[in-house]
Order: sequence, then structure tokens, then C-alpha cells
Amino acid sequence: MSDLVKLTIDDREVEVAKGTGLVETAAAAGIEIPVFCYEPRLGPAVGACRMCLVEVEGMPKLQAGCTLTAQDGMVVHTASTSARAAEGQKGTLEFILVNHPLDCPVCDKGGECPLQDLTFRYGPGSTRMTFPKLTFDKPIPVSPLIALDRERCILCYRCTRFSSDVAEDEQLIARNRGAYSMIATFGDEPYRAPFSGNVIELCPVGALTSTQYRFEARPWEIQDVPTVCGLCPAGCNIRATTREGLVKRVQSRNHPEVDGGWLCDKGRFTFPHLRSDDRVREPLVRGTVGLEPVSWDAALDRAEELLRGAQGKIVTALSGSETTEIAYGLGVLLRRGLGAHSAVLDESTSAALDACRAPLSTIGAAELVVVVGDDEVVDRAPIVDLWLRKARRAGAEIVTIGARGSVPAPVGGAAEALRDLAAADSELGGRLRASDRAILVWSGSGGGGGARLAEAAHALGFEGKPGCAVFHLPARANARGVAEAWAAAADADEADPEPIGLLVVSGDEAAGDPSVRALAERASTVIAITMFHSLAVGWADLVLPATASLEREGTAMNLEGRVQRLRRAVTPPVPDELAWLSKLAERFGVALSPHAAVVFEELSGRIYGGLLLEQLGEHAGLPARRPYEAPEPTPLAHSPEANVPEDHFVGTLRLLRYTPLFSGHQVERVPELQFQRPEREVALSTVDADRRGIATGDLVSLRSNGTSVELRARVDARLVEGVARLADEHAAHLHADVEVVKA
Amino acid sequence: MPFGTLKGFGVTLKHIFRQPITQQYPEYKRPVYPRFRGRHRLNRHENGLEKCVGCSLCAAACPSDCIRVVAAENTAEHRVSAGERYARIYEINLSRCIFCGYCELACPFDAITLGNEFELSEYSRDDLIYTKDMLLAEPIKRVPVQDSDLYDTPIPAYKSSS
Ligand code: SF4
Ligand code: SF4
Ligand code: FES
Repeated sequence: MSDLVKLTIDDREVEVAKGTGLVETAAAAGIEIPVFCYEPRLGPAVGACRMCLVEVEGMPKLQAGCTLTAQDGMVVHTASTSARAAEGQKGTLEFILVNHPLDCPVCDKGGECPLQDLTFRYGPGSTRMTFPKLTFDKPIPVSPLIALDRERCILCYRCTRFSSDVAEDEQLIARNRGAYSMIATFGDEPYRAPFSGNVIELCPVGALTSTQYRFEARPWEIQDVPTVCGLCPAGCNIRATTREGLVKRVQSRNHPEVDGGWLCDKGRFTFPHLRSDDRVREPLVRGTVGLEPVSWDAALDRAEELLRGAQGKIVTALSGSETTEIAYGLGVLLRRGLGAHSAVLDESTSAALDACRAPLSTIGAAELVVVVGDDEVVDRAPIVDLWLRKARRAGAEIVTIGARGSVPAPVGGAAEALRDLAAADSELGGRLRASDRAILVWSGSGGGGGARLAEAAHALGFEGKPGCAVFHLPARANARGVAEAWAAAADADEADPEPIGLLVVSGDEAAGDPSVRALAERASTVIAITMFHSLAVGWADLVLPATASLEREGTAMNLEGRVQRLRRAVTPPVPDELAWLSKLAERFGVALSPHAAVVFEELSGRIYGGLLLEQLGEHAGLPARRPYEAPEPTPLAHSPEANVPEDHFVGTLRLLRYTPLFSGHQVERVPELQFQRPEREVALSTVDADRRGIATGDLVSLRSNGTSVELRARVDARLVEGVARLADEHAAHLHADVEVVKA
Repeated sequence: MPFGTLKGFGVTLKHIFRQPITQQYPEYKRPVYPRFRGRHRLNRHENGLEKCVGCSLCAAACPSDCIRVVAAENTAEHRVSAGERYARIYEINLSRCIFCGYCELACPFDAITLGNEFELSEYSRDDLIYTKDMLLAEPIKRVPVQDSDLYDTPIPAYKSSS
């Protein structure tokens, strides 16, 4: 075939596709070319470290192998067959080590350090340098999460390339020249960005290390557990490093179709919440003086009593962060055992999306991406933001339609925007229809999200084109799986009981949700399943301790519709949900296994067509597209956002709440992450700010219905008129319409 | 036949007047060889700082997996060792130790060495877990050591006598 090239490496003939890098070509032939700076995910090779020197016949000097691509007829000798290349690599390592401190015993990278390994295999056995090494101040906190040791840095520029070419936050830079070059943040500000943690994993030496993992464990003392991140619906593949029964760090497990080997800082750094002080470690029952700890037997007795007492009047508030098995278990107990079919899950995903599903990596290859919705993609599913950036770098056009979009749309106007796109006369819609590589993303709440998106994709003819896909970004990690498992647990239809006899609150997200709290006011009793005391006090009659996703066995479905397996990284301090659910189920005469694998088998037969756990493997695949079935129409007026006030007079703005990436019960409990929390500020459009004489940085007061909040203002040129945008956690009890005045 | 019996008594009689070779342990302690490997010690620099930096290399080298090191960071106010890192917890489970001395070989700072003490019995297994404080302290029971000059010769003492 013409697009294959044939070349010889170390006397071995290799045939690879044209354009393959020499490092990969050699790897395909089973030959190693050692590298430090080369990392294809960071863009084109820079040839900074010279570790990859090889001899190429016909070229007078040694060549940096990482910068070459395989050419037909090339004859390459690596260090194993060429003395010159070996000498070159040895010299390179000697130069790298001139100023590298030999503090491997105290360095966190020691034992898993490419520089150690390659020096051992290719480098000189001893040093010839007799003068003192260059020293710098160390460690320098690049941010509360990352420590920088400039003495160890070998200037491979992986971190700065990540910062400027992948995450595009442009915060890490190389300062000065020559031997005094150093990595720094711009203006020595803390590296505050959603993906900063990836530079720790990229650094081939111990120059950038995690402060959380600092001196916690050495590579021979740890166990890595392959699991899946449970903090957003992207479901990045992670590896939890554990030592002595505690999670010490989280690293990427590189699923090329899902995360491409990157993680957001929320997924990487929030694990310390597992050992938070206010974790519920035993069941609690409301007694005369607040919540009192009781034995598990007593707790289950009480649960049975509450459930029996409220038979027929039970409502369940689901979080969407449960594993599919836990949701199914709850469904079996409550729906099959008690006939309680009513549940609230504040998500609007739809199974119809499966007709146009594709791996997230298709975004990277797209030519036109349209994102609708009022939420930033990075706040909902951060990894998707990296894919969008990748697409844009590759020349794709990204159109955002929403309150902060490149095409401004009124708050909550996503559904309408989609309808317009699908209409025959839409210019953008026409291009989506014509393109073979078009992507539609819905990043926002309400408005019938998933169903509307699936309809639009169907109307635009996405099903037949494998390069076209739609992605609905739910707010919670396993929204799809939970909804489907709950539905699969029984056949009866949902009916809302009134009054509510018992509200079962499953999980922390539900427990922290104001609308669930409002529901609880109407319920005579409440059972809360939660991890934290602060979420349990004041409203629950019975509190059952919950576990975190790092402590769970089971499966979860991510936003693509991919079923992925969660593994228990550490044993939770309490029995997991399935253990006591199965005990309770027994009391109501329904069968439920305490083992996630058995539950999966049962539910897989119902919703995944008999998929086996083993089939998920280490990197779960994405099932084929399913034929399109029109979703049930939800009337547009159903979503509260649709009632946008048409003409706002000066004084009243519509409050646009958003949930920032660094928020939630887990993030709140990690001290190192606090600097990433959103500023106390409200964003106003230029027009609205001018009208009120407000400039960025001014203190303003937001008032509605008797409550008021004081924050700094920020003028946001991208924001549509008539909107005040602020983080959920700062919005407190503000109502939908607020008055904004300079304080 | 009676002669045989008498011969046996004769041997016994002869030994009655000999010096006994039994040593009256524990009243008398036989000196051990200078390179005898007994209970570990953690060493300090002259300035009092601990030599151990908590690198866990000893734990990695240990074939019976009986060392546990948990490190922490030195601060200006609380400086324990010379580098950035020190061993917050250092434990050796001496009931599992096989006294191979690999930890001593692995240590890049000569922080751990095997001493001469072999009297390590306890009433409970738990007491055989030696903590950092115990290993840093001088051993309570002392064991006499042979004169090392005796062994530092072309024909060491154990080859010429014994
Ligand atoms: S002497 Fe051997 S067995 Fe004992 S602690 Fe040292 S390495 Fe381990
Ligand atoms: S004793 Fe030596 S090898 Fe063991 S942790 Fe301390 S410094 Fe490292
Ligand atoms: S890997 Fe080729 S120059 Fe660094």
C-alpha cells in the first residue's frame, strides 16, 4: 500500500503508516528510544532534552529521534547498535545531571522516576563534576496543590506546553535563559486553573510534585486501584493510589476515548474528603437531644418501622451520584418491596441520545461544534472542555449559544435555540446538516435537555454519520445510570403521593439540594443517606451513613452512555449501601444481593442487554448506536427558565445561578482546594453595569424579597443583557429576580 | 561386661575434674563477633539530628517486610533530620526480622545499623515491635564484643581457635 513506509531500525525491518513518529515506529518494532520531553499529547515535538539521540544513516550528526517521522528506506541505529548514539545519550544524561541534585531518597518521584530509570540504563555510572551544583530556593508552592523544586527540573517544557497548548491557561512559563532558566507562574501568582494537576503527572522528574502526596508514600509501598472518577458525568478513568488503607493520590489511567489521559483538579485532588472529620460513621436516630448514634440493628429496625408506617406515601430523592447498583437496590427495596414508585431526580437525560452517541474523542476531530446552554462546559464536565479546545486548535469552529455564548441567547433558551437549529431555514443548522464532523453539546440544566438534543440531532441527520455526535452534560456523575436503574427496578408507573409520609434522601447532592429540602418540609418523616453530619442535622429522623465513589464497587454510566466499572479503592468506615439495603429488602420479602457484581448481572439483563462485567474490561468500550426512538415530548413551559421576563426595567435582573466546578460537599472539605473556589463576585453585562454605573471590582448589593447579598461586581462582556450571573453558593436565598445596586 | 561398665564410669570420673565448657548464661555473657548482626539502631549526626530521612529504602530491601516507615516534612520550627523529609514513624517488627542486614546495606545515609544485642525476648509479640524512640535510644542490655583486632588478621581468630 502506498501509505505505508518501510524502514530499518537496529537491523530490524518495520512497516508503519506514513507520518508515524520515529519513537512510535521503534516501539512498534519492539525497540525503545528513550525520551523525556517527547509527549505527543502535548502537540508537536520540541526536541528540548536530547535524550532520544539516534544515528540515521546519511545524516552526519546524531538526530533527535522524537522530531523525526518515519521515512521510506530510512536506516536508524539506536543506542543498542550504534556506539555513537550510546555515547551521545550518555553525554546528554551527564549534562542533565550536572545540576540535578542527588536527593532521590527524599524525592517523591524516586522509584517511579524516568530520569532515575534512564540514567540507570543509559547513563554514566559516576559523576565527573567536582564543583558545587546550582541551587535554588525550594520547594516553591506554585499553588497550594503543587510544589516546585527548580533544582530537579530538567527543562523539558512539558509543563509549560501543557499549560499553553493543552489547557490553554498560559500560566506556567519558563523564565530566564541558559542554566538559570526556571519554571515559574506568570507574576508568581498561584497556578489557579481547572487542570493544573496534570503537570504533576507530566513532569518526568520530581520538579513538580503534589503537596497532598508529599512524602506520603513510596512506589513500592502502594497499591493502585483502577477505577472511575465519580465527580462529574465524564467518568474519567483514574487510578487511586492507596497506602495502609487510605487513598493518597489520584492519577489518570488514560482512556484515549474518554479523557485522553487528563484529569481535572476536582477529580484529582478531592479524595481527602473521604477522611473528613464530620463524616457519618454510624447510623443516627433523632432522639430527644438531636441525632444520637445507634447500632445497625436498631437503625434497620427504625428504618423498617418508618417505611412500613409510610407505606404508599413514600417519595425518594435520588442524587444521580449513586452507582447504578445502589440505585437499582433502592428501586428494588422501595418499588418492589413497598410499592413506592415516586422519585425525584433533577436531571433531564434521555435514552434517545444513544442514537447519536460517539466517544468524547470525536469532538477533537470535529470541524463544527455547537454548544447550547447557559452553563460553562468546564463547570459541568471539565474534560469535555479540553476536547473542545483540542478541536479548536485543530481548526474547528466552536459556536456557543447561551447566556455567555458567542451567539447570545436568553437564559433558558437552549431548547428554543435547538429548535431553531433544526429548522430548515437556519444557516448554522444547514452547516451542521451538511458536515460529516459536527458535534452538538448541551451544557445547562432544565429545558428537557437530553430529549430536545436527541430530537435536534435526529432532525439534523446525525445518526447516519459516525463523525457527528451529541453530548448532553448532566449535572451528576451517574445521572443516566441512576435514572435507568430506578426505572428498571419495577414496572409500575410513578405517582406522586400527597401528603408525603416519608422522604428517602439518597446521597449528598440530594441532601444539599434546596428543592429536596423544600420537599422535606412537606414530609412527615425523612430518612437521609449521607456522608456528612452537616447534611444530616436538623431534618432527618434517621441517618444512614453513605459511602463515596472511591469506596464503592459497581458501575456507572457516563455522559456518552458508556458503562464503566468502579472498584473499591479503600474499605469505607461503614458498611456500604448494598449491604444494608439487602438486609432491609429481606425484611420486606424482596430478594437483593449485597454484592454489586450480582446486582449488576440482574440489572444488566434488564437494561444493558445482558452485558457482562468482564466485558467492561479495564477501558470500557462504547456500545454501538441504538436506533432512534422519539423521546416523550416535555412541554417547554415545564422548565422554570423558560419564563424569562421579557422587558426588565433598570433595577431588576434575572438571577442566573451556576454551579462552579470547584464547589460541592467534597470540595468544601479539602483545605488545599479552597483557593480554587469561586470568587465572591457577580457578573453583569456591560450594558447593565453601565446603566448602574458599576465597574469591575465595585462592591454591589443584590436584593430580592427581603434578602440581600453583598459581592464584588465583574463586568462580563460576553454575558447577555438583563442577567446577573453568580455561583450557587453565593446566591444563598436570593429569588429569581434581583435588584443590583452599588453598595 | 563389668569392665565395659567401669570404663564408662571412668570417662565420667575423668570429666568431673575438668573445666566445664558450659557457659553460665545469663550470669556470664560470651562476647559476640564484632560483625554479629543483632538488634537495629538508628543513628544520629553529631549535631543531634537524625540521620534517617524516611526514604523507605530499608523497607523496600527488607525480605521479611518488617519495616514500616511513615515520613513527614521537616519545618524550621520542628527539624528532625537534615533534609526536607524525616521518618515520623519508624517501626521494625523484630519478631519477623531475620537479621540479614539488608536494611543497613540499602540505607543511603548509614542511618540504620545492626548492633550486637541479641537478647530480644518479650512476653508479648507486640513488645517486639520496636519504635523509633527505642531504636534511637541506647540499648538497655549490653552485649560484650570480641576484640576486633583478633579478627582483623591474616588468619582470624575463628580459624585458628574456636
Ligand atoms: S535485617 Fe533484614 S529482615 Fe531484618 S529488618 Fe533489616 S532487611 Fe529486614
Ligand atoms: S533508615 Fe536509611 S534507608 Fe531506612 S528510611 Fe531511614 S534513611 Fe531511608
Ligand atoms: S525526547 Fe527527543 S529531545 Fe526530548
